[in-house]
Amino acid sequence: MIRVEGIHKHFGPLHVLRGITFEVPRGEALVIIGPSGSGKSTLLRCINLLVEPDEGKVFIDGVQVNRQDIRPEWARQQVGMVFQSFNLFTHLTVLENVALGPIRVKGVAREVAEEKAKQLLARVGLAAKALSYPAELSGGQQQRVAIARALAMDPKAILFDEPTSALDPEYIREVLDVMAALAQDGMTMVVVTHEMGFASNVAERILFMDAGVIVEEGRPEEIFGNPKHERTRAFVSKILR
Amino acid sequence: MAKSLEEQGRSRARIFDTLAGIALTVGAIVFVVDLFIGRTGFDFGYVGAEVPGFLAATQLTFYVTTLAYFGGMGIGFVVGWARTARTVPVGKILRDRTALLSEDTSRWEAGLETGRLVLWSGLKYYIRRIADGYVEIMRGTPVFVQIVFAWSVLLVNYPRLDRMELIAGIVALTANTGAYQGEIFRAGLQTVHSGQVEAARAIGLSRWGAMRHVVLPQALRLIIPPLTNEYIGLLKVSSLLVVIGIQELTGYGRSEAFRSFKVFEVFAMVTGIYLLITVPLSKVIQLIEMRYRIPGLGIQATGPESRV
Repeated sequence: MIRVEGIHKHFGPLHVLRGITFEVPRGEALVIIGPSGSGKSTLLRCINLLVEPDEGKVFIDGVQVNRQDIRPEWARQQVGMVFQSFNLFTHLTVLENVALGPIRVKGVAREVAEEKAKQLLARVGLAAKALSYPAELSGGQQQRVAIARALAMDPKAILFDEPTSALDPEYIREVLDVMAALAQDGMTMVVVTHEMGFASNVAERILFMDAGVIVEEGRPEEIFGNPKHERTRAFVSKILR
Repeated sequence: MAKSLEEQGRSRARIFDTLAGIALTVGAIVFVVDLFIGRTGFDFGYVGAEVPGFLAATQLTFYVTTLAYFGGMGIGFVVGWARTARTVPVGKILRDRTALLSEDTSRWEAGLETGRLVLWSGLKYYIRRIADGYVEIMRGTPVFVQIVFAWSVLLVNYPRLDRMELIAGIVALTANTGAYQGEIFRAGLQTVHSGQVEAARAIGLSRWGAMRHVVLPQALRLIIPPLTNEYIGLLKVSSLLVVIGIQELTGYGRSEAFRSFKVFEVFAMVTGIYLLITVPLSKVIQLIEMRYRIPGLGIQATGPESRV
């Protein structure tokens, strides 16, 4: 579903990604862990071309998307994204937030888009909040709306960039539950997270990144129970404590 | 309940302050009025008879201000947007680019790609610099000079132009307010969090789509107060057009004063009309500000910048 080959990214003198290659099959939930500054967020942004890789290829559903003849907007419609700080549109109601993409990008009729938005909000347990503004919601609720907004574009996969890191502890559960349900339904997901419970229960595979390279990959029980690399072991022991 | 001695003293002092303040203000007004019209008295008849003339002049003031304001808004939006662009000098792009080209792209493709990039970022770079320069020049020079300059240019090059003063005045004010409004737009656009753009782009909106559906609606809410302030400021600045002979409110007032010698009456009218426009407008700003406030976001509405 998603395949990246030899991705490199520089920010000025900083060599953030140093040749990343991996593949996510359809329906897999892949978790990426690693210390901050290891390039996880940049890697996610390279997949939907919010950041353009300097070198290497990004494939979505078998089509190379970082090419001159493909508009990056097209690639972004194929892959949804959920951000650490939610980034809901502050001037729109929850319903309008979810319906904006279908209406403005896909040209869906307003009534149709809003009807579907209501269904998606029900799916993340927020049907009652459709007419609220983002500022009136808790962090957990905002993040669930953000997930509904990503789903509204019927993406082939969704990227999660530390979706629970900005949340108060009491709201983390509800967001992770929605994500687990998505994974259950067979959504292809790439999740950058520090939630090790989620990683070990929901992820089929874990990538450990450090300093712009993938150091180790494997099933959760391998990465957490029996890491092979010294760096993985050091990181895992720090976060599992 | 008896007040403490200290409290009594304090409230007595407060009453004294208030009374002294009123006495001083009234005294000052009486003094000024007496200075101007002590011997002649205020001619209400003159004021009543001349109202239509002053209203026509007010109309011209509105006309000039409003035309310049909305013209300047167009310029301001473009300039403000251009000034939010992040640009890289062309030389640096070329240097980075050669290091990054992957080996399997053909030379022809690589050349084309590099050319496209250089053209686009070069264009962006120079548009940004031009916008910067425009704002610096307009805000760094007196609007008085700008008005005289525009007028002189027309006078020398198109001496037979119809309504030359009016055109020169509107052009000068438009260019001037364009720069000030550009700064307002820039601040508004930059205050909208970058995550909003990222989220808009992530659902597949184009650059312009993100601007139109996400950034602008938020930025406009933030900048309505400073933009309205700019209208007030511009209205006051339009009085400078007197220097090139436009008969707007101030110009008309000057002519009237010298014609009738009713200086105090004339300028009571002129200042009164300006106040009648500006004070309600600034109240409207406060209302708008309360009505459209997005919690946690906002640009401080400051008074219009002085530029004379």
